[in-house]
Amino acid sequence: MIGTVALIAILGLLGIGLYALLIMRNMIKVVVALQIMVKGAMLAMVMAGQVAGKAAIGESMALTVIVADTIVAVVALALAVQVRRRFGTLDIKALSTLRR
Amino acid sequence: MIALLVLLIIGIPWVGAVLVWLTGDSHPRAQHTLAVTAAVAAGLVSLALLPYTASKAVVGFSLGGVFGDFYFAPDGLGVFLAVVATVIGSLAVIFSVDYMRGEAQLGRYYGLVLFFIGAMVGLVLTSNLLLLFVFWEITALCSYGLISFYNDDPKAVAGGMKALIITQLGGVGLLVGAILSYSYLHTLDINVFLANAHTLPADVLAMLAFGLLIAAAAKSAQFPFQTWLPDAMEAPTPISALIHAATMVNAGVYLLARFYPAFENVPYWRVAVMAVGVVSALMAGLMALVANDLKRVLAYSTVSQLGYMVYAVGAGGIFASQFHLLSHSVFKALLFLAAGAVIHSVGTRDMRLMGGLGKKMPLVRAVFVIGALALAGIPILNGFWSKELVLEVGLEAGIETGTLWMWAVMLFTAGLTALYTFRCVWLVFYGEPRSELHVHPAGTAMKIALIPLAAATFVTWLLAGRFGKMLADSLPFHKIDNIATNTLAVTILTSPATWAALAAVGLGLIIWWQRAQLTFFSEMLAGVGHVAQASFGFEAINRWIVRQMQGVAEDLRGLHTGNLNWNIFGIAAGLVVVLLALALGATR
Repeated sequence: MIGTVALIAILGLLGIGLYALLIMRNMIKVVVALQIMVKGAMLAMVMAGQVAGKAAIGESMALTVIVADTIVAVVALALAVQVRRRFGTLDIKALSTLRR
Repeated sequence: MIALLVLLIIGIPWVGAVLVWLTGDSHPRAQHTLAVTAAVAAGLVSLALLPYTASKAVVGFSLGGVFGDFYFAPDGLGVFLAVVATVIGSLAVIFSVDYMRGEAQLGRYYGLVLFFIGAMVGLVLTSNLLLLFVFWEITALCSYGLISFYNDDPKAVAGGMKALIITQLGGVGLLVGAILSYSYLHTLDINVFLANAHTLPADVLAMLAFGLLIAAAAKSAQFPFQTWLPDAMEAPTPISALIHAATMVNAGVYLLARFYPAFENVPYWRVAVMAVGVVSALMAGLMALVANDLKRVLAYSTVSQLGYMVYAVGAGGIFASQFHLLSHSVFKALLFLAAGAVIHSVGTRDMRLMGGLGKKMPLVRAVFVIGALALAGIPILNGFWSKELVLEVGLEAGIETGTLWMWAVMLFTAGLTALYTFRCVWLVFYGEPRSELHVHPAGTAMKIALIPLAAATFVTWLLAGRFGKMLADSLPFHKIDNIATNTLAVTILTSPATWAALAAVGLGLIIWWQRAQLTFFSEMLAGVGHVAQASFGFEAINRWIVRQMQGVAEDLRGLHTGNLNWNIFGIAAGLVVVLLALALGATR
């Protein structure tokens, strides 16, 4: 029962994160979407550890991800601040300088 | 003891490379000294390894799993090529002391040369296919870096890129071979592979055999990949002598020889190998006849002589091919280094501007002529013995497999070789000077490198018996006839192939001597000359392929939106495809 709930939560988080990544154009929202997705992945690790009977490994992996993921968020947000100051916009489409 | 020697041969040049790099370009004297020390030390250690050849792996480490064991096995074939790489490498480095004096960025130059020498030794000594592939690619990388050494010259940069791309193409063939070997035999060890190759399904074995043939042809600049070698001549001349004549281009021949026992019964493989050699030898010979750039003539002749070696492997003459490889390494390194002395002295590579240089640089003329006579196959020089052995093996295989026409073409090419060699010697050293060139004699370091090579041209063939014994004793899967040098000499001298070849060489000489009377002949062949000058259309094919690739890239540029949302979509779609493939693979 708890497994089913966890599975739904994982798929939901991953799905929402992916959907947001596909449609969001605001850089801050992109970072938030990424965070949602990573939380899904983290939950999946914990659950995988439970299923495989190696809970400790799954949980320690999740802890590692928390650290890495926080760093990603911090750097990305700092970048977003700089981008906003420099270019005056956070719209990733407007920021792209590639010729089309 | 052996393990230490093996590690030292690879380690000394690599450590030397790092040290030269760290020394910094502001201390050129220290860099010269360090590079020469490292190269000579590696050469001495590899000579010390000669008595200890063994077919079993002596040193290495196990990575386990898919990668297998990274072991080094100093068998006859590997040690022989390691000696060639390090000894000729050390002579080329000594020669560089004069040739590269005053050049900027010596750290990059010597670093890459020493890195190359170590990688080449690793390539021939390892018994692991994957490690072989890694070393194979390192040599390609060093070759690229050194061809493009003068990186402010667009031609040098383009030549380097061309060499890199074409040899990478061959590397894919090798990688496919390694993967197939692992997936069917669960091993990457070459000796285990050779022992179990007959258990492979016929089609897999054929795929492997032809994949490795492509790899070898690309590395050894054989048909249809021969175009990169002439363009590689933009490299400094010691590099051309070392990498593009004496060592790296031999890696393809080495690969074919190493795997010959596994593939000899694959249908059409031997004939295909022989055909590749024959076509390369003939085409390159014709191109050498019409080229005007001294180094390009030598490059074409390298392709042509490598064609002889590949042909010999196809004909089943592993010993003949390796024997010719030894001779060729010595006399071609000599020719290139002598040509380097000329080019360094006069500042041009165009033979039409040279002429009559012999009087001003007598020593260089003497050694160049010795090398040229060996290349042409004039008796008692090493090129004579090995080329005749190749032709003799070819004659036997021709009768056996019904490919006598190939033998006839090779005979014709022997005459052609004599013709273009004499033309080249004449244009550079004899006749009247055709332009005012400032000439200075060769430096001491150049002489130190040239004289041993010239002496070796006279004597390396005397080692044939010992060399054959070394190969026969340490290669369990190859059938190598172990014959003494004097028996071999008698066999060669009494073989009809030898006399036919000598007649062809003599004919080539006569045609060059009587060229004034034979104008109708040369007019008749002017058409062939024009086609040869256009490299038989292969340059055009290369350019066409490059244009097509650029066109495809331009078309695909639309996918490069720079839009995060689309990129995420691409990643997700790729993930779905991979997962589907895995799911399908799991259910099958």
